[in-house]
Amino acid sequence: MATNQQSDPDELTDRQQAAVETLLFSLADDEFVLAERYTEWQVRAPTLESDLALSNIAQDELGHARLWYDLLTEFDYTESELLFERDPADFTHAALVELPFADGDWADAIVRSYLYDTAEQLRLAALEDAAYTPIADRIGKIRSEEAYHREHAENWLERLCADPDGRANVQAATDRLFPHALALFEPVDAEHEATIREFGLRSESLADLRERWLSITVPLLDSLGVRPPVSADGSPPELPVAYGRGGEHTEQWPVLHAELTRTYRELDRTNTRTITNDPDHAR
Amino acid sequence: MIWEVFRQEQAGEYHTHCGNVHAPDREMALLFAQIQHARRKPTNSLWVVPQSEVSAVDADTDGVEFGGTTDKSYRWVSAYNVDVEFAEEIETSDREQRKAEGER
Repeated sequence: MATNQQSDPDELTDRQQAAVETLLFSLADDEFVLAERYTEWQVRAPTLESDLALSNIAQDELGHARLWYDLLTEFDYTESELLFERDPADFTHAALVELPFADGDWADAIVRSYLYDTAEQLRLAALEDAAYTPIADRIGKIRSEEAYHREHAENWLERLCADPDGRANVQAATDRLFPHALALFEPVDAEHEATIREFGLRSESLADLRERWLSITVPLLDSLGVRPPVSADGSPPELPVAYGRGGEHTEQWPVLHAELTRTYRELDRTNTRTITNDPDHAR
Repeated sequence: MIWEVFRQEQAGEYHTHCGNVHAPDREMALLFAQIQHARRKPTNSLWVVPQSEVSAVDADTDGVEFGGTTDKSYRWVSAYNVDVEFAEEIETSDREQRKAEGER
């Protein structure tokens, strides 16, 4: 339990504030961009039911992104600065969430969700006692929805892998996505990461979270007859060159960003309208 | 495979049929039913039942005679002609009951 808990954004030192911002941006950007990709499945999923389930998950992730972006407005960012006016190069999500889906590659959506939501579960648990309390306060709401996401992904994985063709698709998606998922455990930069730990924002190091993630995902995939791309001694593959986070994004990201800001630009908007109340002041 | 979905709003109430979902098995049916039939409604419990397990008997089946179709309005008090005095009595009692309920 952190002893130097802080609830007032104005009381943070500059270094602490920079670390909080860095953490919030990575959390929010992951959720936002993943939701954006998931919505591409709307009316295209294998069945009406799977369509609704994934759309529902996308909506959850958008809600979580909003909770995190909202905390950034406490540091005087406006909603347009956070999303629509922001340079795509400044986004710090892992490239895992920005990769496009091949046409009809449902196994990709399921594997991506499984790898992401397993990491998300560990990451959120480690933020439960964050020294900046507005972060800790929002964890419970998010975690309650994440359980469904994992159940959904795991149930689908089992069923896809029960069939040889389905398992081959899961294998291909795992080979492609697994190295990208490792970026979820990369810091945006070393200095802010050190403050995130010292200030007591996250109770575990990224390296420890990654180990725990590997100890869950590798055996599960193995049990389904899918070989995750880890070496015989269990060490994970190299990160891709463009892995997002603190590094470069793939060439797909500017395309996606242009798409999601298209209406904003076409309408010559210079700011966004806030349609929901600040969740902390809603009462 | 089609699963019929029954939703219970509060503990102790009946599970009421609310629609169906397509799902390959029981586990997925429960997962889908949560989104389709409980996400926006107060829900205490959901049942899913394979549609093939539901047995039915319909009004147009030969030899079936369901109730509720013959005129039984004579059973309702409004169907009777009552004298004026009696009507006043009912009105007074009605008024007293409304008053008592208002004060509760």
